[in-house]
Amino acid sequence: MIPVCLLVELPRGEAYRLDIDPPVSVFHTDDGEVFAIDDTCTHQDASLADGWLEGCEVECPLHASKFDLRTGAVDAPPAKRPVRTHEVFVVDGMIYVQPSTEAPNLPPCIAARLAGEPA
Amino acid sequence: MTSTSLPDSLITTLPGSAYTDPEIFAQEQERIFEAMWFCAVRSSDLARPGAFRTVEVGRESILITRARDNSIRAFFNVCRHRGAKLCTEETGEVKRAFQCPYHAWTYDLTGKLVAAPNLTKMPDVGRSEYGLVGVATREWLGYVWVCLAENPPPFDEVVQDVVARLGDTESIERYDIDNLEVGKRIVYDVKANWKLIVENFMECYHCATIHPELTEVLPEFADGYAAQYYVGHGAEFGAEVKGFTVDGSEGLDRIPGVTEEQDRRYYAITVRPQVFINLVPDHVIFHRMYPVAADRTIVECDWLYLKHVVESGKDVSRSVELFDLVNRQDFDACERCQPAMSSRLYAKGGVLVPSEHHIGEFHDFVQERLGTGSSQ
Ligand code: FES
Ligand code: FES
Ligand SMILES: [Fe+2]
Repeated sequence: MIPVCLLVELPRGEAYRLDIDPPVSVFHTDDGEVFAIDDTCTHQDASLADGWLEGCEVECPLHASKFDLRTGAVDAPPAKRPVRTHEVFVVDGMIYVQPSTEAPNLPPCIAARLAGEPA
Repeated sequence: MTSTSLPDSLITTLPGSAYTDPEIFAQEQERIFEAMWFCAVRSSDLARPGAFRTVEVGRESILITRARDNSIRAFFNVCRHRGAKLCTEETGEVKRAFQCPYHAWTYDLTGKLVAAPNLTKMPDVGRSEYGLVGVATREWLGYVWVCLAENPPPFDEVVQDVVARLGDTESIERYDIDNLEVGKRIVYDVKANWKLIVENFMECYHCATIHPELTEVLPEFADGYAAQYYVGHGAEFGAEVKGFTVDGSEGLDRIPGVTEEQDRRYYAITVRPQVFINLVPDHVIFHRMYPVAADRTIVECDWLYLKHVVESGKDVSRSVELFDLVNRQDFDACERCQPAMSSRLYAKGGVLVPSEHHIGEFHDFVQERLGTGSSQ
């Protein structure tokens, strides 16, 4: 489990970008729920933590793909593949993330970089 | 004087080239429109956060919007990445951010760079540092004024033009222009140099000749002395005239702050470099000029009335018609002059008669700004 930040440090409607590889973003919704998904949009290299949070959905700031924070599913294109979701625990006011063991769906440019090819 | 001396009654205008030379126009853009406060948009045109307008100020395109906290923001309309024009529309509304159509650099309503492809891989790219570059803004009389100068002059310069005309600021505040509503807007595309339009607005030597309808409403205009000739003077409506309308018929509800002294009078103010304001008891006519070339000027004119007058759908057409007619008569006259500005005959310019002599101050102002000084 990876510690993220104190719950009180993350106001509702905001996101925290956890700088691990690949990065994870943690959202505190307006309803007070906390979700974690991969931070990188599956369409191109954009940070979803910089996106627009609405209800249980985040809209990518670059080309407006939407992802469901609960499932990682694509709710609106152009992204085609879902983002991974990660388990979130809040213990004594501290947010923790248990990273998923599935393979991430990274956008082509990042996947290529990770594979050591020129992007 | 360079050539013949003039009779005492006459003083010279600017030379013809001042109205035609693209280089002089470029200097005016730099030293006047990009250096002074410039009246850009009506604040109510930016009704909600994300509503925007783009305007040409001098040689620059400026993007003006309202941020989430309702504050007005103005930026150079230039993407910080590789210079694409960020907003190509003249007016519109974005939901949350401005996105460059080229590589999708995305700026929030305060100009901050909030997203870009691969941005998180470039943590050394400051989001404010590479945000949109702002320009100074002020709201006054319900309009957004911008100044592109790095060190804007005090806004009081603008206010002083009103004081010079009316004698004080209270006189204009009584019209509550901030809270009036646009009842009608007409945009004129005038094929004339902006200075011809200013000069025309400043004098009334032409009134009896080209404005028969206006002269019916304001009989003293037949003397040729503009309201702008005297400080604090408003031209009085004719005895038979009921309102400031094309046929002298009843106007709309009088603006409550207007005093007895100001009632049934017409005041005209030039706010340098590009605004004209007309005050009558029931409405305000507010002109903004956008000089686009040495021989072309866009004039955007608002007719402003009390909110309830506009909201109740009252017929304002007779008052709009009067000044629309006056504008078209004036702009026709300016367009008639423009071609002659390049005539050999007009190389040294023309002459101003005594009722036009105050236009000389405007010429001094232009020459001072350009650092050309007068040759007299
Ligand atoms: S990068 Fe997210 S939609 Fe294109
Ligand atoms: S020029 Fe605007 S994002 Fe590249
Ligand atoms: Fe006129």
